[in-house]
Amino acid sequence: MERYDAVIIGGGHNGLVSAAYLARAGKKVLVLEKREVLGGAAVTEEVFPGFRFSVFSYVVSLLRPEIIRELELPKHGLEILPLDGTLTPLDDDYLWRVNDHGRTIRELRRWSKNDAEAYEEYGRLMVEMARFIKPILSIVPPDPGRINPLEWLPLAGLAKRFRDLPEHLESTFIQLMTMSAGDFLDQWFETDPLKATMSASGIIGTFQGIRSPGTAYVLLHHYMGEIDGAFRAWGIPRGGTGGVSNAIASAAKSLGAAIRTNAPVARINVRGGRATGVTLESGQEIEAGAVLSSADSRVTFLQLLEGGTLDAEFVGEVKRYKYRGSSGKVNLALDRLPDFSCLPGPGEHLRGAISFSPSMEYMEKAYDDAKYGRFSRRPYIDMIMPTLVDPSLAPPGKHVMSCFVQYAPYFLEEGKEWNDEMRDAFGDTVIDTIAERAPNIRDIILHKQVLTPRDIEKVTGLSEGNIFQGELSLEQLFFNRPVPGWARYKTPVKDLWLCGSATHPGGGIMGASGRIAALQLLGRKAA
Amino acid sequence: MPRYDAVVVGAGHNGLVTGSYLAKAGRRVLILERREQAGGLLANLEVAPGFKAPGIVHTVGRLRRSVIEDLGLRSNGLELISPSVRAFAPQPDGSARTFWGEVGRTADELRAHSERDARAYPGFDERVRSLAGFLAAVNEITPPDIKARKLTDGINGLKLGLRFRKLGPKLSREFTRAAPMAIADFVREHLETDAVVGPLAARAVQYTSMGVWSAGTALVFLNDSAGNDGGVAGQTVFARGGPGALAQALVEAAKGFGAETRTGADVVQVTTNADGVATGVVLASGEEIEARAVVSAAGPRRTLTEWVDPVVLGPHLRWRAANIRTPGATAKVNLALSGMPSFTGGDEERLAGRIVIAPGIDYVERAFDASKYGRISEEPYLEATIPTITDPSLAPEGSHVMSVVAQWAPYELRDGDWNAERDRLADLVVKSLETYAPGLGDLVTARQVLTPVDLEEDFGLTQGHVLHGEPGIDNFFLWRPLLGHARYRLGIQGLYLCGSGAHPGGGITGGPGQNAAREILKDLKKA
Repeated sequence: MERYDAVIIGGGHNGLVSAAYLARAGKKVLVLEKREVLGGAAVTEEVFPGFRFSVFSYVVSLLRPEIIRELELPKHGLEILPLDGTLTPLDDDYLWRVNDHGRTIRELRRWSKNDAEAYEEYGRLMVEMARFIKPILSIVPPDPGRINPLEWLPLAGLAKRFRDLPEHLESTFIQLMTMSAGDFLDQWFETDPLKATMSASGIIGTFQGIRSPGTAYVLLHHYMGEIDGAFRAWGIPRGGTGGVSNAIASAAKSLGAAIRTNAPVARINVRGGRATGVTLESGQEIEAGAVLSSADSRVTFLQLLEGGTLDAEFVGEVKRYKYRGSSGKVNLALDRLPDFSCLPGPGEHLRGAISFSPSMEYMEKAYDDAKYGRFSRRPYIDMIMPTLVDPSLAPPGKHVMSCFVQYAPYFLEEGKEWNDEMRDAFGDTVIDTIAERAPNIRDIILHKQVLTPRDIEKVTGLSEGNIFQGELSLEQLFFNRPVPGWARYKTPVKDLWLCGSATHPGGGIMGASGRIAALQLLGRKAA
Repeated sequence: MPRYDAVVVGAGHNGLVTGSYLAKAGRRVLILERREQAGGLLANLEVAPGFKAPGIVHTVGRLRRSVIEDLGLRSNGLELISPSVRAFAPQPDGSARTFWGEVGRTADELRAHSERDARAYPGFDERVRSLAGFLAAVNEITPPDIKARKLTDGINGLKLGLRFRKLGPKLSREFTRAAPMAIADFVREHLETDAVVGPLAARAVQYTSMGVWSAGTALVFLNDSAGNDGGVAGQTVFARGGPGALAQALVEAAKGFGAETRTGADVVQVTTNADGVATGVVLASGEEIEARAVVSAAGPRRTLTEWVDPVVLGPHLRWRAANIRTPGATAKVNLALSGMPSFTGGDEERLAGRIVIAPGIDYVERAFDASKYGRISEEPYLEATIPTITDPSLAPEGSHVMSVVAQWAPYELRDGDWNAERDRLADLVVKSLETYAPGLGDLVTARQVLTPVDLEEDFGLTQGHVLHGEPGIDNFFLWRPLLGHARYRLGIQGLYLCGSGAHPGGGITGGPGQNAAREILKDLKKA
C-alpha cells in the first residue's frame, strides 16, 4: 500500500500551498484532486475552443507575499498583470477611478469637491489601517472557551498594538469591524455611484447587503493587496487564475510533492480516533501520517468521514455553519469589444474592472430580491475583460469577458429550484443588465457560460456554491471558523487537519489558510 | 464656587436617576427639563379626556432592581404590574401563539403546532438567560479605559473575564458566536415555526432601523433580556398609573434626596472656560447656570453638535459626533377604545401583555425594507398593549386604551411629509390590527399619532431615534457612543453623558443613569 507522511484532499490553491510547505519541510506528500484540472476555484479552463477562462475566481490581490517569496512562485511562472481601475457605467455618465491617483482625484472632483478631498484622506487612513490589521491574517485564532496563555499571546500582542494606536485609528478599526460598508462610507462621501461601487466589495461572495453590519471590513482588502510590494492593486495572473494554482503546483512538485488529478477521495479512514489515510472512489487506499482536507467543513466532516466518527454536538455545529452561496458567474466569449454608451468606443476604461453598481439603492434592491429567494432582477456585476491585458486567453482579436454576478441565492423561494430554465433566465437577466449600458453586447457574444451557485457546487465541490467555503459573516470568522473551539486547523479526529478557506482567515486567493495549517502541523510559527 | 455640583440636562428617566444618585450622595443637583412635564419618554399622554396612554414606551420591565431599591421608588409610589402573559402573537390564519412568563406553559401550547418547537423552547430560553446573564454583568460596569493602565480598570477587566469564564467553555464560545448574529438566524437555530420565530425575533429590531437579517441584532435581543426575567419571550411589566407614574416616582425620589427639578427650562448651550472645561449651561431664556459638572441625559449627537462650541470640541470629534447614527423609524399610535377589542384566539388574560404583530420573518423584513427607501411599511410590525386590562384607572369605566409602537416609519420620507402622512399611518395601524381584531376600528373614539418628527420636536430625540443612537454592534460598550468617550465623560472635561446614548444603551433600565452617577461622583470627589 502507498504511504505518505501527509495526503491532502483537494488541489485548490490552499491544498497546493499546504503541500508545498510540507514538502519543503521534507515530508512525503500527496495531493489528491478530484477533477482533471488543478486549482479548485482558482482554475483556468478552455471552456470554448480557443477561449480560456478563469472560470470561477477571476482576480487576485491578497495572495500572501510571504508565500510568493517562500515558494519562489515567480520562478514557477507566476506573473500578475495589473488590472487598472474601476469604471462604473451610469445612464449617461460614468465614474472612473484608476490607479493614477491624480487622475482619480480629478475625476472625483467632477462629481464632488468634498469627495475628492475626502478620498485622499480616506486612502491614507485605509493604508494605515491595513498595515495594522495585516498580522491578523497570520494569527492562529485562540479558543475563547479556554485560557491557554500561549494561544492568546499573539492576540494580546495585537491588543497592545491597538492600544498604542491614536484614537482616530482605533475608532476607525472598530468601525471597520462592526459597521456596514454603506454606513461607513456615508461618513466620508456623498457621491452615490462612488459609495455604491466601493461598498460592493464588502458584499462579494456573502449573503449580506451593503447595509449589513460587518461588511465594512472588506473595504480594507482593497488596501491590503500587495502586488510586487505595492499596496492596493488588484491584478490578474497571466494565463488566468489557474496560473496561480499552476505556479504553486509547480513549486510543490519541485519540492518533491506528488500531485494526482482525477483522484476523487471517497472517505477519510479513521482507526482508533486517528486519521490513517484515505480511500479513493476507485477503491484504492492510501495510508498517511496525516490527512489535510482543503474541502469545506461540511464536505470534510459530514461526507468524507463515516457517520459516528464525531460526537453529535460537533456534528450539530458543523450542520449549523452557514454557506448560502449568493453569487453566480457568467463567462462570455466575445467577437469584439463591448461598446458602452456612457463612454463609447474602445479604450483604457475597458482594461480594468467594470462595476455595475450605479447607486446604493440599486445594490440594496439587488439584495432585497435575494432575501426572498430570487436572483436579483438587476444584479450587481463585476466585469473584467482579461484579454485586454493578457491577449493569449483568446484567438487574435477576440475577447473573453468574466462577469461575477450577485445576487444569485443557492436556495430559491418555495416551489422554485435551479434548473436549466432558471439558469437561462438568470443568464438572460445578466445580459439584459449589461445591454442597458453596453447595447451591442448581444451582437458580439460568441459563446456563453452561465454558472449558478448550484453549478459552482457541482463542479468545485464548494457547499451551496459558497466561494469562501462558508459565509464570511462576523459570527463565522476567526474564533468560530469553521467550528467554535476548533479554529486552530486541528479537528476532533487526531491527524486530520483543515487547510482550506473554511478556516481563518478565509476566502479569496490568499493561500494563508493553507500555509498556516501546514505550519501548525509542522509545529512552526506562522508569523 | 458654582451653586450646583451638577446640572443635569433632561429629566427623562436616566436624568432623574443620575440626579437622584448624585443628590443622595450629598451633591447639590439641578435637573433641567425642556418640556413642561418631567419623565421624557415615560410621559403619559391624554388621548382623550379621561384616557391616559403611555407617551412612547409602554412597559418598564427592564428597570434595574438596584435602581428601584437604591432610590426607594416603591415608597415614592411605584407599583409594578406583571401579567402572567409576556406576549400574544396573532397570525393571519386566525391562530395565535402566546408566550407566557411560565416557560412550561408556553412550550405546552406550542406543542399543538410543532412538537419540535415545544421541545426546543425551554432549552432556548435557558440559553438566552445564560448569555443575557453575562451581558447583565457587562452592563453594570463602566467600560474600561483602554489607554490608561489603572488598577481599577484591570480589576474590572478581570472581573468581567471571570464572569465570562463562569459561562463555561461551551457558552463562552456560544457568546462570541451568537452576539454578532442576525436575530433571524439565531432564533431559527432553535425554533422552526415562522409564526413563533417572527414575533420572538422582532423584539431585537424594535426602535431600530435594522431588519431581522441585520448582523448584530442577536446582541440587541440578548441585551433586552439582560438583568431581568426576560428570557426568550422578553419582559412585560407595567407601572400602575402608566409609565408616567414611574416618572413621578423618580421625580419624587430626586426631590426627596434634595435635587431640584425645573421644567420648561430649555438648554441651548454648554458653557466652557478658557481651558475648554464645561462650566455650566445657558437656557433659552438667556439665564446662565453654573455647575461643576454638566450632565447630559440628551442624545450624544445633539449634546456635542448643538450645545458645545465647535472650536472647543475640535473638528475631528465634532465630525465623529455628527456621524453617530440616529435613523429614527418608530412611530407611536395611541387609541381610545369604547370597549374591549376582540382578537381571534385571545382572551383578556392573553391580551394583558404585549400584542405582537410580526407573523413571520419575511413579514418583519418586508416591513423593514420599506424604510430603507423612505417609505412607511404598508404592513407594519406592531407592538400593542392594552394597559387598561390590568390597570382600569387609565380610562373611564368599560373603555380601554391601546398603545401601539409602529415600525417602520422613517424620519425622512421620500415622498410627502409627516404632516400629510400622520393620518395615513394611523389608518394603516388600525387596518393592520383589524386583520387580527375584526371590528377594532369601530371601537376607536380618539387617536393620537406621534411621528418621528414629533418625537424629535417634542421630546428632543435626534431624528426621532428613541434609543439616542442605533443599538448596533458599531455602537456598543467601549464604543457607545464613541470610542474613547464611553466612560460617561463626553468630549470635553466637565461634560458627562447619562442617557440612553451611553453604555448600556436605550430602554427603561436606568442603567446609563446609574453607571454615569458613579463616575461623576468619582470626579467630583477628586476636584
